[in-house]
Amino acid sequence: MSSRFTQLFEHSPDAMVIVDRTGHINDANKRAEALFGYGRDQMRGESISTLFPGQTVPLPNGSEPGERVGSHVDLVGSSTDLRQFPADVNIIPIQTQRGTAEVLSVRDITEEQRAQFVLELGLDVFESADHNLQSLLDHFIRAQEEERNRIAAGIHDDTIQILAAANLRLQQLRNRLDDPEERDILDKLAKTLHMALSRLRQLIFDLRPTSPEHGGLERALRAVLEQMQSDVDVRYQLDDRCTGSVPASISALIFRIAQEALINVRKHAKAKTVQLEFQEVCGGCLARIVDDGVGYSPADVEERPGHIGLSLMRERAVIAGGWCRIESMPGAGAMVEFWVPYNGLPTQPEAGSERAA
Amino acid sequence: MRPIFGPNTRQVLTFLTDLWLLSPEEINRVTRAWREASDVERAESWAQLHRAASWRERKSYLAAASVARKQAMDVASMLKRTDWAFWAAAWDAAAAIAASERLGRDYDVLVSPLATVLPSLSRGGNRLQVPAQRTDRQAAAKREAAGRGKETATSAKQAAHRGGRAGMEAR
Repeated sequence: MSSRFTQLFEHSPDAMVIVDRTGHINDANKRAEALFGYGRDQMRGESISTLFPGQTVPLPNGSEPGERVGSHVDLVGSSTDLRQFPADVNIIPIQTQRGTAEVLSVRDITEEQRAQFVLELGLDVFESADHNLQSLLDHFIRAQEEERNRIAAGIHDDTIQILAAANLRLQQLRNRLDDPEERDILDKLAKTLHMALSRLRQLIFDLRPTSPEHGGLERALRAVLEQMQSDVDVRYQLDDRCTGSVPASISALIFRIAQEALINVRKHAKAKTVQLEFQEVCGGCLARIVDDGVGYSPADVEERPGHIGLSLMRERAVIAGGWCRIESMPGAGAMVEFWVPYNGLPTQPEAGSERAA
Repeated sequence: MRPIFGPNTRQVLTFLTDLWLLSPEEINRVTRAWREASDVERAESWAQLHRAASWRERKSYLAAASVARKQAMDVASMLKRTDWAFWAAAWDAAAAIAASERLGRDYDVLVSPLATVLPSLSRGGNRLQVPAQRTDRQAAAKREAAGRGKETATSAKQAAHRGGRAGMEAR
């Protein structure tokens, strides 16, 4: 061996073994001694299968080194202390004074495989946590809507009916009274009852804003926008071009996402105007809500805890089989854009798809 | 490789690393292209992407989009670019790459802003080669052009990244 090759061979960071065409070891370097636990004198003349027992090392035969390129194989190495380890083996053909031979460059990849395993495990944990979070948000949103509907129905079918009956009896009682002072007291009582009824009806509207009895999505949004204009002086433009019949559940979902966006405008944006556009796209509703407020840095805001509103907007759209993007930058307002299909798309894994995937 | 973004995970990862090679001027071009494109056409393509996919596929496309968006935000921040249209473009493109087999013309709609600086993203381009296959001279010219006004740390990071890519390709 030339002295340059000898230096390279001896000081290589990888274990190196020179093997002749019959598969017997001619030489080994220090790293090979350390890795396999044999002295180089012990290795010389031994079959390469001593280092990789029970495996075939694919040594080429026939062609000359100059005609071939190196090859690579994954094997399991075995050391004198019976430790087995995964090995990354590169087989490089060389020409020596005694004929052609192969240099096997061997690297113990136990740590790499362990690191990969840890990484895969981490990914599993991350995916599982992500899945759990999605399920939790999904459940939370559905439970919230169901509870709102239940409360609204309870108020409408029970509490309001009782108050209306009480009001009727109050009127009957009033008609029997002759004393103006007593009538005056009953009038005040009736006024209080009217106020209670009115507030309960408002509460039903807040709980079920897009129900047909309240006039649908546009009217519900206009009510919120009017209130916002009156409270914080934010002008609005509402352009609803969704002419088709939007299912009530999708209407409610669109309203909730828009409502969350408008809450952010009201609380944080310091905007002068907000524009809302709704249009039909591919059998669904595309919505854009754009304000001219102070904006924010998404990188800063999204990494801070406590911004569940943004996540809920996205999650509501995803649950319905759509998507939502929320973008902003300091000084340039914010935009919420989302699309939800009218007919809904599968929101849970199809039966058997978990295993099939 | 674990297909965390679906069957095109490798292409998505290549795209994610390619984002780090963009210069400030290229980010500006992407931003302009995204803003000039039609919102409705883009939304139609997203709708098509959703309609063509199963629940699980949609989830992986959206995961790719989210990671690309975050990556683009980091790139933009390092290059002192603040227009969100850039990471919106990355969001679109990553989802389209992940779903490329499912999309026809909609693929081109979604990748077009980034394809202005990464032409390999266009159908017919070799997605795995550009810009990783830029010659050293091209890369040096880009670095020189991009270097004006760019922080040393950014150059160092990109140079390190290029070195890593070169190493990967050599393997």
